[in-house]
Amino acid sequence: MANQFANTVARIKKYWSCYVFIAPFFLLFFVFQFFPILWSFWLSFRKWNGLGPAEFVGLQNYIHLLTDRMFLNALGNTAIYWASGILIMIPIALVIAGLLNYRMLFGRNFYKTITFLPYITATVAVGLIFGIMFDYNSGLINQIIARFGGDPLRWLNSTKYSKIPVISLFIWRLTPWFTMILYTGLLNIPLELYEAATIDGANILQKFRKITVPSLSHILLFCFITVSVESWKIFSEPYILTRGGPGSSSLSIFQYLYVNGFTIFKLGYASAIGYVLTFILFAVSAMQFRLMNKWVKN
Amino acid sequence: MKSRKPNIIHFNFASISVHSTLMLVSLIAIFPVFWMVLTSLKPPGESFSTISSMFTRNPTISNYLSVSNLVPIYRNFFNSVFVSFFGTIATVFFCSLAGFSFAKFDFPGRNALFMVLLATMIIPPEASVIPVFIIMRNLGWINNLLSLIVPRAATAVGIFYMRQYINDFPDELMEQARIDGCNNFKIYWRILIPVIIPAISAWASLALVNRWNDFFWPLIFMRSREMFTLMVSISLLPVSEGLSTPWPVIMAGSSIAVLPLVIMYIVLSRFHLRELTSGAVKG
Repeated sequence: MANQFANTVARIKKYWSCYVFIAPFFLLFFVFQFFPILWSFWLSFRKWNGLGPAEFVGLQNYIHLLTDRMFLNALGNTAIYWASGILIMIPIALVIAGLLNYRMLFGRNFYKTITFLPYITATVAVGLIFGIMFDYNSGLINQIIARFGGDPLRWLNSTKYSKIPVISLFIWRLTPWFTMILYTGLLNIPLELYEAATIDGANILQKFRKITVPSLSHILLFCFITVSVESWKIFSEPYILTRGGPGSSSLSIFQYLYVNGFTIFKLGYASAIGYVLTFILFAVSAMQFRLMNKWVKN
Repeated sequence: MKSRKPNIIHFNFASISVHSTLMLVSLIAIFPVFWMVLTSLKPPGESFSTISSMFTRNPTISNYLSVSNLVPIYRNFFNSVFVSFFGTIATVFFCSLAGFSFAKFDFPGRNALFMVLLATMIIPPEASVIPVFIIMRNLGWINNLLSLIVPRAATAVGIFYMRQYINDFPDELMEQARIDGCNNFKIYWRILIPVIIPAISAWASLALVNRWNDFFWPLIFMRSREMFTLMVSISLLPVSEGLSTPWPVIMAGSSIAVLPLVIMYIVLSRFHLRELTSGAVKG
């Protein structure tokens, strides 16, 4: 026992430089992530405007969230952004990845370069572009609608449509990232599998279901979790396009946190929102892990 | 694995639909950027009201000059370059160093520490932004570019990715270097770095894109016009002339923010991002 302990100490001494190499990460994590998370938890039970002492209010912040219409709207909107990420973005990315992997594709590198381009651009800058294109009076989208004889829509300032520009921007900019990941996954599936299936008389849908999806299951799980994190903490897109409005029709949870924390200085309330957001992300990730495990087994 | 290179162009239904769909996707991908540049070159007063007026006969750079009258764009540009450059260098250095340690040394506690590192990935740092802001204020880093560089100088994802890549580095090379009297840092600096250049350039590209395009953190930490990064600065363009900033001026601002990376991306041929995703997939 004592010998083993001495042995470990000797090894720690021998490998001291390894600890120095990994220390920066753990130090930064502790100061800028771990400690803030604990502090945030403490704050979420308090009322504080940033000056003076914080007043303990128990669960009041959390209870207030349950009846706060703005927050509930933000929750619903963010859930819609999330759903559009899962149900629209990932399928589009999978289709484009499949097309890029087409055996007889001519100009593959050209298409790969161009289809990845949106990911390089800044959300803020493209948000300004989309804002102008979705403008009611002379935006490009309404011009195209008018050309086909339709009525122009108030994309950015009607509660009914304001989420559409936000979702368009979100999908336009982030799809290429998932296309790239799924494309790399497709490259690792041996072509022989598809050839054998063709000989057995499988059609393209059967091949997709029986070969492509199972082979990509881990990568798809990775994509689903990443897109969930990205969509639950969505901020720039609604901030630039609509400021969350009109009303709170396109407000996201994280935007509401920002407003509470940095505009009206309800710091305890903002911390409670942050905790709800963290909890949702945990739940969503765990749910996807379980669903995927079940699905892979079947 | 069989080659995926086509030897002849096929003109059947499948081929035509694949190619035309990809052309449409490419068009959608490139159009907003293309349209932004065209609009930014329009002289003030020229109409937008028809689609056919997309191109202008009299391109001008006056909108770019107007941007510099509205916001301190040169200073903002410099801030973005500074943060992106040093942020990228720092993250590449610290992530590869820690990745090296996790991949190549069996030090006590290695696996436990690595599990901790993986677990940190699911916690979004944005959720506890209030305390982070207070910490920055106490450090005196509000309105200081350090607040945008230091916190993400070593990230869990980066270390994870580097470790995956460095795992394949042959132990014999390390033994050889050790016999020649190299210490661990010298092995990292002289032997490992040259071998992992593909991984480093991939991670550097991604870090660069993220730092340059970052909006939320500079919005929070930077409190004066001079200290804003480009993204925060251009986000204020639409309201900087009392809600009536001409569109071509806004688009000129956007172009200044978007084009540097787009040009680099095309010149440096796709930023080696393929390396990056193959690393992710391998993990």
